Amino acid sequence: MLPFRLEKRGVPSAGLIWGVSLAAVAVAMLLTGVLFAFFGVPPIEAFRTIVERTILDARGLSEVVRRAIPLMLAGVGLTLAFRANFWNIGAEGQLLIGATAASGIALFSGLPAGAMLPTMLLAAFLAGAAWGLLPALLKTRLGVNEIITTLMMNYVAIYIVRWLINGPWKGPSLGGFSYTERFAPEAVLPTIGTTRLHWPTLLLAIALALFVAWLLARTRFGFEARMMGESPEAARYAGVNFFKTTLTLILVSAGAAGLAGFGEVAGIHQRLVDPGSLSLGYGYTAIIVALLARKNPVAALVTALLLGWVAASGDVMKISLGLPSQITGVTSGLVLLSIIGSEPFLRYRLVRREPARTPSEAI
Amino acid sequence: MRRLFIALLFLASLPFASAQDDPLKVAFIYVSPAGDYGFSYAHELARQKVDAHFGDAIETVFVEAVPEPDVEPTIDQLVADGADVILGTSFGYGDGILAAAPRYPDVIFGWGTGYQRAPNVFTYMADLYQPYYLNGMIAAGLSETGQLGYVAAFPISEVKRHINAFTLGAREVNPDATVDVRWLFNWFDPAGTKEATEAMIAEGVDVIAFTEDTPTAIQTAAEYDVPSFSHYASMVEFSPETVASGHLVNWEVIYIDFLQKVLDGTYTSDNLSDVDYFWLLEDDAVELGSEPGVKIADAFVEPLQNTMVDHPELGSISVYDLVMDRHDKMVAGRDVYDPFLGPVVDRNGNEVYEAGYLPTIGDLTSLEWAAPGVVGAWDNEPQ
Repeated sequence: MLPFRLEKRGVPSAGLIWGVSLAAVAVAMLLTGVLFAFFGVPPIEAFRTIVERTILDARGLSEVVRRAIPLMLAGVGLTLAFRANFWNIGAEGQLLIGATAASGIALFSGLPAGAMLPTMLLAAFLAGAAWGLLPALLKTRLGVNEIITTLMMNYVAIYIVRWLINGPWKGPSLGGFSYTERFAPEAVLPTIGTTRLHWPTLLLAIALALFVAWLLARTRFGFEARMMGESPEAARYAGVNFFKTTLTLILVSAGAAGLAGFGEVAGIHQRLVDPGSLSLGYGYTAIIVALLARKNPVAALVTALLLGWVAASGDVMKISLGLPSQITGVTSGLVLLSIIGSEPFLRYRLVRREPARTPSEAI
Repeated sequence: MRRLFIALLFLASLPFASAQDDPLKVAFIYVSPAGDYGFSYAHELARQKVDAHFGDAIETVFVEAVPEPDVEPTIDQLVADGADVILGTSFGYGDGILAAAPRYPDVIFGWGTGYQRAPNVFTYMADLYQPYYLNGMIAAGLSETGQLGYVAAFPISEVKRHINAFTLGAREVNPDATVDVRWLFNWFDPAGTKEATEAMIAEGVDVIAFTEDTPTAIQTAAEYDVPSFSHYASMVEFSPETVASGHLVNWEVIYIDFLQKVLDGTYTSDNLSDVDYFWLLEDDAVELGSEPGVKIADAFVEPLQNTMVDHPELGSISVYDLVMDRHDKMVAGRDVYDPFLGPVVDRNGNEVYEAGYLPTIGDLTSLEWAAPGVVGAWDNEPQ
């Protein structure tokens, strides 16, 4: 028999969560270091280069935050849905449809400069929300599993974008290439200096996180949503209106992903582009952002930055350290694996068995 | 003490010594992994040849699998690493290159297949329409049904130009030949390519050409013993028996010419606004061949020599000799022979180029019409 056993903890303290999470990141870096050594890159030097290029360099740091913005918006939205046990896997599609709606306004509305960006933002939010509405209706009315429907809606969104940029929205000045025309300057978000950091969207993400945190903690809607997640039976017994609450939360959750799409087209691409280039899988990474943040909307801001940093570090590995492109996927996988693997340490503690006990007492 | 002094002297001299012999640092950015077959692989082969050609004068690096929206931060990192010349090989890198170029006025940028330039941004293209034209002649010479197939990536001007050249070549050998075109709307789509190839073969197509970044069309055609063509680089190893010829690209010819002119000071970071390479057979930037140096694979030489056609201009001639005649004339120059020399009529009967008109490079890069014999949907076709 092993000299140790696992004992269940109560609610983990904030200090414990931070300690375990940081330890997990450290383990991941250790494993990545071993990987570097295998490729003949001295690990210490490699990490120094990564930190110099991503954190100590202003432009590098701007790229970390730039990548974190869509993860923040979509991730914060997902924390709300996940709290209520609504497994929205469709942030990618909601993001794409939000980007599509914003692009449609930018390209064809002809609105004056002052109204352009706010209308694009609103359209992106509503389009994202509408994309989430169908799975929400199917779940609440017919009991259809939302994991399947939200996931499938992603593919529908991908093909809608593909069809638009290959068909009716294809820019005539681009010689047949599949992009729309470039947005007019009034439909483009301002950035900090010459970086690509579209700061209004960053502020929006922070505001959204605070708003969702307030919703969850301080409103009747938030209480009902949490009750639906933690104890659906009790929620039903208490008379929670599942239909209304689900629709409200998907409106915010999917709408937030739509806003991420708005940020990408209005801040980065300045046109509607192929779905593979438009989002780089942000909608899926946002699921990890929300889960790593333990479904806490404000913590999702931090985990989004962490994953933004992992992505930016991958670039440095590829460019400055000359590692093969596949390495970036492997290293981000290692980070996620060790963070997810650290989860049991939050719920259990390792205690030494006391030698004199009989087996029955040990259980 | 004296030894220390010498060591210090040596260390102090290092920065000067290295400043003098500093190699020109050239960075290549690829849109897909360098080891994959197709477009990026052709550039990677070229990079290796550039490396070997210049020796210590040039140091090359490459970054692979860079998504189009990430090219700008990639450029930032490369400049931080000390790159002097940055070559973005994909059309989709244009926005990022043109946004970054003003930020780094001392760095030279190249936009492969691009169309917009700046004082420190030049554009370059090794175009394959001439080898595709010769491939079309070979295809028609080998076909029994007269039905040829073409699996095409995107309906952009470049691909349309290549399909037209292939079709005009086929029709020069067999005036009744048709070219069935299937669009993938993707550069990389092995599954779609396999499906399109099989569908066309089922309908009677017995020679396959393609524009897609994998050897899938060659492998699928080989299952039905249907001849096909190497695309960008030699693909003979995937089916040694069925690759008849092909269109190969030698990007290094452009790269070496350009970088030599950078080294000797002809090209600098403020005089590139008019530097646009559009290089062809006559420049040796592209090549007819199943593999480098083999214009037509051995097994296909005899059948083509035995297939005689009645040519309006050259009389009774074998397809093999006709291909070589056209090849040698195009190598001599566009003014000696060009498949697009007028009169050219599109498949709707409109005159595209009047008799005796030699289309300019600008005409060719904005081409939208479809040649007679092309069968299938055609985006943005002039009616």
